Amino acid sequence: MDDQGCPRCKTTKYRNPSLKLMVNVCGHTLCESCVEMLFVRGSGNCVQCDTPLRKCNFRVQLFEDPAIDKEVEIRKKVLKIYNKREFDFPSLREYNDYLETVEEIVFNLTNNLEVERTRQIMEQYQRENRDVIQRNKVKLTREQEELEELLLLEQKSTEERRLELLEEEKRQLHAKRKNKQALLDELESSQLPACVLLAQHKDRAVQLEQQIEKQKQAVKTTIFSTGIPMGQTVSLQPVPEIREVLYHHQPLYIYTHGPPVPELDQLQRLGYLNHVRAASQQDMAGGYNSGLACHRAVQDAFSGLFP
Amino acid sequence: MFHNSSQKKFWQFDGEAALEKQRYEANQKFRSKIMASGKPVSDSLFLDPHEEMVIFRHYEKRLIDFCSIFKPTMPKSVVGTAVMYFRRFYLNNSLMEHHPRIIMLTCSYLSCKVDEFNVSSTQFVGNLQETPAGQEKVLEQILEYELLLIQQLNFHLVIHTPYRPMEGLLIDLKTRYPMLENPEVLRKTADDFLNRATVTDVGLLASPSQIALTAVLNSASRAGLSMESYLTECMGLKDDKETMSKLMDTMRRMKHLTKKYELPKPEEVVMCKQKLERVYAEFSSSNLKRKRGYEEEHEVAKKPLLTEEEVWTDEDLDSL
Repeated sequence: MDDQGCPRCKTTKYRNPSLKLMVNVCGHTLCESCVEMLFVRGSGNCVQCDTPLRKCNFRVQLFEDPAIDKEVEIRKKVLKIYNKREFDFPSLREYNDYLETVEEIVFNLTNNLEVERTRQIMEQYQRENRDVIQRNKVKLTREQEELEELLLLEQKSTEERRLELLEEEKRQLHAKRKNKQALLDELESSQLPACVLLAQHKDRAVQLEQQIEKQKQAVKTTIFSTGIPMGQTVSLQPVPEIREVLYHHQPLYIYTHGPPVPELDQLQRLGYLNHVRAASQQDMAGGYNSGLACHRAVQDAFSGLFP
Repeated sequence: MFHNSSQKKFWQFDGEAALEKQRYEANQKFRSKIMASGKPVSDSLFLDPHEEMVIFRHYEKRLIDFCSIFKPTMPKSVVGTAVMYFRRFYLNNSLMEHHPRIIMLTCSYLSCKVDEFNVSSTQFVGNLQETPAGQEKVLEQILEYELLLIQQLNFHLVIHTPYRPMEGLLIDLKTRYPMLENPEVLRKTADDFLNRATVTDVGLLASPSQIALTAVLNSASRAGLSMESYLTECMGLKDDKETMSKLMDTMRRMKHLTKKYELPKPEEVVMCKQKLERVYAEFSSSNLKRKRGYEEEHEVAKKPLLTEEEVWTDEDLDSL
């Protein structure tokens, strides 16, 4: 991987791990200190492409490739104008064509191809579809709001649950303490022997424990983690059975146009191996044995023998 | 294995007549191509199939000689593969189109690669009795022709030579045929037979196992041993009279072919060579253009080299 670095001061991430790279609309990087130095007056030109830039447009580079940062920026801008959604189109095909145009524009702007023409196209589109854009914008904001509301609701409910739990624990602690205090009081004032009182106290403690346990069970979850409510009946109909003809293995038969060749593992028994050079220790290490060469020779000798 | 190889499927022919026909067609194809180019040439300039055969045999012999003195020593199967490439190549191409001098070297170079006989290209051309500069030129030519050769072989590069089958037969004889006391005595004459069979069309007509069997049986009959019972008992041909007679027939044909072979007479070779060189002098310019057209267009730097290459002739090889 090439080390990322500032093209101006040549500092790299390797040499200065705390280096912060910034990216502007043109897609060229500069490190933070260079930005501070060059753009003291708030605006200036890009070191690499001479595009006039503003200091406030510098963003921290999030991706390794600054071009992607640039594209993200551009895409955000383009999608503000091209904000139609699927149900604004009569057919899927038209929607896809529309998406294609959007991609085309983003690509062109990112790679500086036909920038002027693309800009014109965008402006024209904006003029022609002003009210649609406005409407969609409002719709989008509304949806955004709804989503935020939902999130807020969720947050509230979790908070409530947490508080409840806290309350519960406090109550239990309180009950236990009261129980203990009662025991001490009784030991102080009662005439009964201490062992009886202790036994009574133990019984009460166990009862209390059971009560708490019961309460805990009562607050059972009603929803699985997947969001499916518990106790919902799942359709238990069996999956339709598919029957196919079973596969029958048929051993491969090759006609070699010659007399039958003895099998590799029978060469030893038939005495073929007595007539070939024995394999050396080194050969065997690699998985070779004299049977292989012998088998191949005999195979070659018989293959295609009969006209 | 041979029985499902491309050799069995595409490179086994029915008879000598079929081979003759293919060679004749290759010859005619070249003639008609030259004729079509519109040059006024007399028919007598071209080599006829017989003359082509003379040159072919001459160069085939040279190929074998080259391989036999090759350092490091070439295994037999590499030589067999090279000769077979040479044979296959000129089955569909005329000698007048591609010069056998370079094709034979390309064949042996390719067979070294295919048959896992590892020599580097510089080591390979180092076997030519040439100056280093000359060797480089040859190497360049070899590499240029290599792809053409592979294409003309139809990318069927695996050649089943009869050497391994013969080993297998000897092992089988030792194991299953105790009537023969020492099968090793057959080896020398059988090897001789295989060497003689290499330079004939036998490899295109019969399977390697058949050639090996013929070699062994031939050697046995020379030594005055009868091996009829090996075929009937061990090969299981006792009841299969038809296969047996067919096999016998094939073997007889092979024997006949190897016996018939003779090297062309030196004066004949000289005459045909002169004729061949005339053909090349006449047509090589057009020929060259076709082969190297793309290079000539784009790589101007190579141009002077090409003209020099043509200086490299047979005489360099003769010193082998």
